[in-house]
Amino acid sequence: MSHKYELPKEVIEIYEGIKNMSIRGAGKIAKHAVTALVKAAEAFKGDETRDFLKYMEYVGSYLKSARPTAVSLPNAIMYVLTKLRKASVTSVDEGKQIVASLAQDFIKRADEALKIIGELGSRRIENGDIIMTHCHSTAATSVITTAYKKGKVSVVYVKETRPAFQGLITAKTLAEEGLEVIIIPDSSVRYFMKKVDKVVVGADTVAANGAVVNKIGTSLVALAAKEARVRFYVATETFKFSPYTLLGELVPIEVRDPREIVDEEWLKENRGVKIFNPVFDVTPPEYIDAIITEKGVIPPQAALLLLIEDYGADLREIGTNTPTVWEE
Amino acid sequence: MTCESLQKRVSEFIRGVSKGTVLGSTEVAVGSLELIKVASSTCRNLFKEFLGDFIPRVVASRPPSQVVENILRRYLEEFVKLKAEAGFERAVDATQDIVDSLIRELDLVRDAVAEIGSRRIENGDTILTHSYSTTVLRVFEKAVKRGTTFRVYVTESRPIGEGRVTASNLSRLGIETTLIVDSAVRYVMKRVNKVFVGADAIAVNGAIINKVGTSAVALVAKEARSRLYVLAGTYKLSFETVFGELIEQVFLEDVELIIPKEKIQGLPSDVRVRAPLFDVTPPEYIDAIITEKGVLAPQAVPVLVATLYGWPPKIKSLRELLREVGEE
Repeated sequence: MSHKYELPKEVIEIYEGIKNMSIRGAGKIAKHAVTALVKAAEAFKGDETRDFLKYMEYVGSYLKSARPTAVSLPNAIMYVLTKLRKASVTSVDEGKQIVASLAQDFIKRADEALKIIGELGSRRIENGDIIMTHCHSTAATSVITTAYKKGKVSVVYVKETRPAFQGLITAKTLAEEGLEVIIIPDSSVRYFMKKVDKVVVGADTVAANGAVVNKIGTSLVALAAKEARVRFYVATETFKFSPYTLLGELVPIEVRDPREIVDEEWLKENRGVKIFNPVFDVTPPEYIDAIITEKGVIPPQAALLLLIEDYGADLREIGTNTPTVWEE
Repeated sequence: MTCESLQKRVSEFIRGVSKGTVLGSTEVAVGSLELIKVASSTCRNLFKEFLGDFIPRVVASRPPSQVVENILRRYLEEFVKLKAEAGFERAVDATQDIVDSLIRELDLVRDAVAEIGSRRIENGDTILTHSYSTTVLRVFEKAVKRGTTFRVYVTESRPIGEGRVTASNLSRLGIETTLIVDSAVRYVMKRVNKVFVGADAIAVNGAIINKVGTSAVALVAKEARSRLYVLAGTYKLSFETVFGELIEQVFLEDVELIIPKEKIQGLPSDVRVRAPLFDVTPPEYIDAIITEKGVLAPQAVPVLVATLYGWPPKIKSLRELLREVGEE
């Protein structure tokens, strides 16, 4: 790739790392992206403030193109660049300083987010509540363990979460914290919902309308909770809110290998059977009582507020990097 | 075969029933009748004791499977009637014939249900089914023979996972079959226009008891406005519910049947696994119950009971009948 500007080696390495997925996970991608912005700013040679700002915009869009489907990436970059634009910078040095301190802010916030989410979420839990959770989410686990430490919760139903059984990671974590854990098969979600007071799950991506993309089965838990008038909470860092959905894009749902569900031998014996293994599903906002973020507890329909206020989401800007081919 | 070796077979059979390896409830009923038939010759001297021991045991091994209780009641009624007319020995002699005609009757009823049910399948339908039901399989078979083209989604139906057996059978009938995890049922329901499930029992209020997960499928079908049909012969009616009895739940106790061994390792020992085998689908989620007597609204079940057995239904309990078998 030919560059309009000479970029430092570290920046290109981070770009490549995000692109080839050696840098993975929403939090890691976001933190690496702002670090790359700082490295790029430091390497800028010149004294024209206007050139510096233009250069930073270029670096931002370059980084964003590394992995168009990772929502935390544009969010991290927008967080720094929007505030830089608004800062009315008067010199290149000042600009470099602002980028560095914004990046630091962002990383600090990301690091503290789980703790804050745990605290805010635990306030939503009442004494004696029985909780249900699905899959494995550090944010959801943080809410449950914080509530446990406050003496509010003792029993948690953890869904096994087929096909990969990630529920067992959650079960282990919570049991080691001292909670009473009951593992249940996914098919029994409606049966057990009557015994539950609140559901807490994590998110993979939050769309601008407040719909939550998360591990397959989440939307079924939400529906069963709605039917039983059980409160349904999503715990997630704000960098998982997707700016692309503002433009009406659908969030792509990955479909994985059949062998996660049945073994090779079964597949050979049953060549006529197709296996459909979608990894995520979409929970509509009307089934979600609140989304618990490090910036506060919000109704899902207000997801847009955080995208605009916090990340400076701007239709004109995010439009330039929107992938065009997505599937349901 | 000796009477002793039959006892061994009986124990194996009952273990299979309670662990769910004997899949459909009609299969349990037929299996029970066949064991009685064998016992009437090999355990002739101890036949009275055999019935007194076996019948309560097999019924207790899967209480919600109503057909087992009802068909054994039918057998005992015939036996007691014959005993009164011609004596105990003659009744034992006639057991083979009684059993054969009851099995034939079960098959005819199932066939009649399937015939009516298959008329509900139209060209181009996308159908979903849960668990394993010989009645539902026969519905699909009849529709295929009639030349109807349709696709079927099958949930794996954990715990046990008998949906895989259903999927195998369907693909062998030449039906386009797709297997999904239980959690994906809401994801695919948008593509589905009809749901067909069997039943272990029909309660008098029109609720049906079936493999766990059925009620979640029904909830999702309701949400997506897909039709839900229950296929069950009238021998699945639970008369006891007329008198306020609740249908007993069965839990799968063997943890390794629920979660793969290698996944359990490393879990703290106080983590519990709870796996109910059945759940209750409320009548408001059922579009119709298809019986050999016709298609009816679930709320019309009492009408059916009254027509067939009078109101309140005059039904002798198994215990009462067994006492009559034993009377000198």
